[in-house]
Amino acid sequence: MIVASNSCLSCLIPPWTIRSNSGQISTSRRASASQITITESNSLVQQTNKRRCKCYDMYKEAVPFAEAWAWQKSIVEERKSLIDRNEDDLDTLIVLQHQPVYTLGTASSENNLNFDIKDPPLPIYQTERGGEVTYHGPGQLLLYPIMNLRFQKMDLHWYLRALEEVVIRVLFSTFSLKASRVEGLTGVWVGDKKLAAIGIRVSKWLTYHGLALNVSTDLSPFSGIIPCGIKDLGVGSIKELLRGSSRPSSTSSDHDDGDGKLIDIAHESLLKEFCEVFQLELCHQSVSILRYPDK
Amino acid sequence: MASRLLWASKAASYLKISTFNRGFASVVKDLKYAESHEWVKVKGNSATVGITDHAQDHLGDVVYVELPEVGATVTQGSSFGAVESVKATSDINSPVSGKVVEVNEELSSSPGLVNGSPYENGWIIKVEISDTNEVSSLMDCEQYSKFCEEEDNH
Repeated sequence: MIVASNSCLSCLIPPWTIRSNSGQISTSRRASASQITITESNSLVQQTNKRRCKCYDMYKEAVPFAEAWAWQKSIVEERKSLIDRNEDDLDTLIVLQHQPVYTLGTASSENNLNFDIKDPPLPIYQTERGGEVTYHGPGQLLLYPIMNLRFQKMDLHWYLRALEEVVIRVLFSTFSLKASRVEGLTGVWVGDKKLAAIGIRVSKWLTYHGLALNVSTDLSPFSGIIPCGIKDLGVGSIKELLRGSSRPSSTSSDHDDGDGKLIDIAHESLLKEFCEVFQLELCHQSVSILRYPDK
Repeated sequence: MASRLLWASKAASYLKISTFNRGFASVVKDLKYAESHEWVKVKGNSATVGITDHAQDHLGDVVYVELPEVGATVTQGSSFGAVESVKATSDINSPVSGKVVEVNEELSSSPGLVNGSPYENGWIIKVEISDTNEVSSLMDCEQYSKFCEEEDNH
C-alpha cells in the first residue's frame, strides 16, 4: 500500500533544540469523589513573544473518560462565554491518559464494533467529536487542546494537519521513527500502522477533543473494533515499533519500568513539539484530582 | 489583533502550509447570512436554513449531518446541529430563533448534498421564526462576501 504524505509538510525535519518550559506540575490524590478541581498556580512565565497556553498536565494519570470529558466541556463553555464577550485570551491544553474505554464520534457506525453495543466489553461513550470508533487506555497519551483558531488560523484542515505535525515531529525527533500522513485519512502512520488518532469538535472556531498517541498501549482492545473504520490497516505503538514488529504486540504482562520511561520521554517531546508547531508557551496549572470511594 | 495576524501567518509559513486560493464561493442574492456561515431564506415568518458555499468549501466532504428534532427550539447564534467532515465535527448555529418545523431527512443518507447544493437541496432545517426583527442583524450577500474575504485573509 502506498503511504503518501499529504501537502508539502515534510516529515524529515531536523531535531530542534529543546526549550524548557517553566512552571510546575503537581497532582495529589485523596480518597474523595471523582471530581477534578483546579487551583491556579503562579507559574513563572518567561517573557517571550509566544502566546501563552494554560496546561493541565496529568500525563501519568489514567483518568476516567467521563470525568475528563465533563471537564473539557466545562472549559469549553467558559471559553465560549469569554469569546462572546471578546475576552478570550488564553488557550488550554489538557494532557492525560484514560482508563480503558471505547469512544465513538458523531457519525460512528455500529458496523465498526465487533461486539453488541448494548453489551460492550468496556465502557463506551458516544461523543461529539468527528471520526470513528477508537480505544483509549493506559500507555496512550492524550492531548486535548482547547484552541481558539482565531489565534492561529481559521482553517480546520490546517488545524488537523498541525496536530498530525506535532506527532510526526515527536516520532522522528525523539524516536527516529519516520511517520507520515495518508491522504484522506486523518491520523499519523508509521508504515501501515496507525500510531495516532485524531478527532475534534469545533464550535465558533473553538476546538476540543484532540489526539491520542499510542506509546506503550496494550493494543489488544483494538481488536474489538475496526479502529477509525479502517479495515485494511493496523494500529501500532511506539513501544512495539521500537522493539521490532516481529515480537507479539504488548500485553499487560509485558508492562515494565521501561514503559514509564517511554511515556515520560514521549510526553516531554509532545509538549515541546506542540509548543513549536502552535508557537505557544505553556503555563502549567496545578491539578488536584479528588476521588471518593464508590457509593 | 495585529500580533495575532502575525502569528497566524508565521505559523502557516513555519509549517510551510500553502493556503491555496479557492476563488470566490458563491452567494445567493436574496438570502441573509450569519457570521458563522449559515444562510437563511425568509418568507414571512418561515425560514429555511443551511450552510453557505464558503462553509462547505472550507469543511471539505461532509460525511454526516446531525439534525435536530422537529419541534425543537432554536435560538439565534446558538448551535442546533452539526456537520462532520474528515474527523472534525463543527456546530451549525441558527441564524434565527424559533421552532424547527421540518428537517432535511435526505441529509441522513446523502450528507454530500450540503457540498453539492448548499443553497438548494442541501438545506438543513425549516424554522417558524419567533422574532422576525432578528433577521435585520444578519448580513446581505455583499456584506457576507466581504466578510468571507476578510476572514480568509486572517
